[in-house]
Amino acid sequence: MVRRGPGRAAQVAGGLLAASLATALQYRSDFWMEMLTGLSRSLLAFGPVWLVFSHRETVLGWSADDTVLVLGLYLLVHALLAGFVEPNLGAVVESIRAGTLDFVLLKPADAQLLVSVRRLAVGRLIDVPLALGVIAWALAQRELPSGSDVLVALVLLVSGLVAMYSLWLLAICTSFWFVRVDNLRFLLWSMVDAGRWPLPVFTPWVRWFLTVAVPIGVVTTFPALALRGEWDARLLGLGIAVGIAFAVGSRWAWRRSLAAYTSASS
Amino acid sequence: MSHVLRALPDLMRVGVAGAVAYRAELVIWILTATLPLVMLAMWNAVALDGPVAGFDQDGLARYFVATLVIRQATSVWLVWEMNYEIRSGRLSTKLLRPLHPFWQYATSMLTVLPMRLVVLVPLVAALVWWRPTLLAWPGLTAVLLALASTALAWILTFLVQACFASLAFFLDKTDGLFGVWFGMWALLSGYVAPLATFPDWARPVVELLPFRGMLAVPVELLGGFLSPAEAMTDIALQLLWVGVFAVLTGAVWRRGIARYGAYGA
Repeated sequence: MVRRGPGRAAQVAGGLLAASLATALQYRSDFWMEMLTGLSRSLLAFGPVWLVFSHRETVLGWSADDTVLVLGLYLLVHALLAGFVEPNLGAVVESIRAGTLDFVLLKPADAQLLVSVRRLAVGRLIDVPLALGVIAWALAQRELPSGSDVLVALVLLVSGLVAMYSLWLLAICTSFWFVRVDNLRFLLWSMVDAGRWPLPVFTPWVRWFLTVAVPIGVVTTFPALALRGEWDARLLGLGIAVGIAFAVGSRWAWRRSLAAYTSASS
Repeated sequence: MSHVLRALPDLMRVGVAGAVAYRAELVIWILTATLPLVMLAMWNAVALDGPVAGFDQDGLARYFVATLVIRQATSVWLVWEMNYEIRSGRLSTKLLRPLHPFWQYATSMLTVLPMRLVVLVPLVAALVWWRPTLLAWPGLTAVLLALASTALAWILTFLVQACFASLAFFLDKTDGLFGVWFGMWALLSGYVAPLATFPDWARPVVELLPFRGMLAVPVELLGGFLSPAEAMTDIALQLLWVGVFAVLTGAVWRRGIARYGAYGA
């Protein structure tokens, strides 16, 4: 049965994800290696936090537990980006260079959806439960957040994730024109690293940069503030606005890019 | 040795041509190594209310600027390059030339070094503009020792990566395995925090490991945190680790190359 609208999109996405899971599970040694690398990376990310808080009780009002909460959110976002977003959008660059993007464009479904759920780095997704565990542990160290705090944190997290995905899509769009700038993605990764610390440690202009240009702060510090009960309408509004702006902007850029795409065969 | 010296000018010309052709990529690659700046932001906030482990805010800024520079000066990407060339069989071309592949890789990476450092100039200038008080002259002896120590750090980094890369003769891919080593390096080499911030019980162990000789020794010399007299032991330790990895890497390479069976071999 062919459904329409969001139902059809979900059906397509489900089918593609199942196929990419099956593909990923074929390369088992790669899978174990990725898992090992990801786990050790995540564990070693605690090193600097441990060092910092062996010298101070709090830094700019952030305790060790709160910083671990930010780190947990950072690990979660990192794992989702590395597991879902990077393998897919990285493959688009390769398709543009090799000309195989044509096959995607010919299919009777939205091209952005198709290129976004083709591949899955299963090994990297192992970090998701680890990150959730870290977040849960950090939350258990303080008074449990209220229902509305959790809801606001979730909204901010989703909005920020949408923004980060859109940022990757924007980076990919540039490769329709400049084939060799795909390592712009590596530059993004290095900026994502800033998300492991709470935003207040940065100077004001960097803080703004990490909110509206590379919105990693929206996914890490903003939800952490919400879970501490320290959110207001301004924070929530800013978080949602960033998500919507990035989603709309990247969708527009993607359509422009496809329109300018001359394909390998023409 | 003399045949290496004779081939050197040509190899360097090739290296420079490659770097110039992909200069935009090079700039992006260098900008990806900005983790020290993220760490500086945090440690700077930590030192707001007084020095931490002997580092005040100026000292921390100096430390992480030096980290940024020495990281570029010791940058080697042999693991990724050799992994790819072993898997794709392109290593065979290098094996045909009358010069050990390690020399070919080494010259191509060393020729890009000056360019990598030039790209850093605006970044360092911006940091000095942000905090002019970070500048301090450690003394001529310290600078000369830092140069020698940087050379040793580069050689050690190259040998370690050559060792992991040669393991790719036995395993399919080793860049993942190297990722684990890299994570340990980041924590224990002084890349994310000065080693002085480690607790007292951990420091003697951390200082004996090879990681410190790959980054922290030249950084501390350049920043004036390590006196030339103290540095002698550290440089001796660097030499020791270079020796250990030279032997180890040589053994892994010889065993591995005997098994190498990519097409063209």
